[in-house]
Amino acid sequence: MKLHLEVITPEKVILEEDVDEITLTTATGEISILPNHENLLTKLMPGEMTIKNNGKEEHFAVTGGFLEVSENRISLLAEYAVRASDIEVGKAEEAHERAKRKMAEHKNDNEFRIAESELRKAILELKVARRNKIRTS
Amino acid sequence: MASILSLRRRIRTAGNVSKTTRAMQMIAASKLKKAQDSAVLSRPYVEKLSALSKNLSGKIETDNLHPYMKENGLENTLYIIISPDKGLSGGLVSNLTRELFESTKNKNDIFITIGKKAEPGVFSLDKEVLASFPFGTSLPPFETVYPVIKLVNDYFLNNKVGSVKIISTKFTSVFSQEPVIKEILPVKFEEKSEGTNGMLFEPAIEDLLPSLLEHYIEMELYQNLLESYASEQAARMVAMKNATDNAKEIIKELQLEYNKIRQEKITNEILDIIGGQFAYA
Repeated sequence: MKLHLEVITPEKVILEEDVDEITLTTATGEISILPNHENLLTKLMPGEMTIKNNGKEEHFAVTGGFLEVSENRISLLAEYAVRASDIEVGKAEEAHERAKRKMAEHKNDNEFRIAESELRKAILELKVARRNKIRTS
Repeated sequence: MASILSLRRRIRTAGNVSKTTRAMQMIAASKLKKAQDSAVLSRPYVEKLSALSKNLSGKIETDNLHPYMKENGLENTLYIIISPDKGLSGGLVSNLTRELFESTKNKNDIFITIGKKAEPGVFSLDKEVLASFPFGTSLPPFETVYPVIKLVNDYFLNNKVGSVKIISTKFTSVFSQEPVIKEILPVKFEEKSEGTNGMLFEPAIEDLLPSLLEHYIEMELYQNLLESYASEQAARMVAMKNATDNAKEIIKELQLEYNKIRQEKITNEILDIIGGQFAYA
């Protein structure tokens, strides 16, 4: 028995495959989902998502979104998701600096909001990338 | 012969026109790829979000409805009409305007226009226009939706309109884009489905629903912007390709006529010379 997982972002469908276990951060804390989990709908918090499949682990950075579990089908709607190994640390650091600078300037509410979400994304990417590095080394 | 000169001038003009239209066709084609990708690839997200919102809305108690789901009994509609800023995109704008004329019946309807090309049509209706936003000539950034959503919230949540609809163009393929109308508010929910009991909500559904619905409305609007943008580029590319082809066709015809006249002229000149020779001899 496997879970059918779909990770969908506004940019594209990131992932669609069968997995054994998935761990992620929700509004009420970190949860793991195994096959035959009760149907669930929950809000996703920015954090790391871990997928276990055939003994292999894969890590993703996922920003906020929604998660639906329904009859062993998991749909994860995230604003942004990226494979930990695909994160470019240099770029994320750059984005981090840029967003911080923009927030300091903060011309209007809209720009501030955008910069803030950029910053959150960059921090998250850096965190997940760092953890991933420790794990692989 | 005067017409040989004017013919030459017309050939040159048609040549210039074809150069311009060809350039526009290339520009549209290069923008289309990106536009098409973003419109098509984000569809699954919005569709899933829509399904989720509707599904979830059906599970909430009727006395606990989110304001987005409440029908207030008003009959007028707030229309958000999305069009390009620039013309030369074939029948895209006129199709959009026709759709608008057909759908708006209530004289208290209110409009928000995004894109310059929709404005003349909307203004001609002589109804209230709340705001006009530019559409821009590049891929619309997500921030475009915030001011629109703010207005929508202001009008819908304060019971100034009964529903909110988007009129835009759906991108089906490079050769076909159709105007579509979509009601986004109030959120229609499915009748309580049988799976009601087996679902767990964390946090409680009442806390979950507002953020879900808000996100859904934003994404729905954004998706419509993306579709409109892709449609615009596709329509322009095809229209400009036709224009280029037509210009080439005209050049061909004119060239033929020009050659004929030129030949005729030369023949006449030869005849004149020979005639003169005979007269001399």
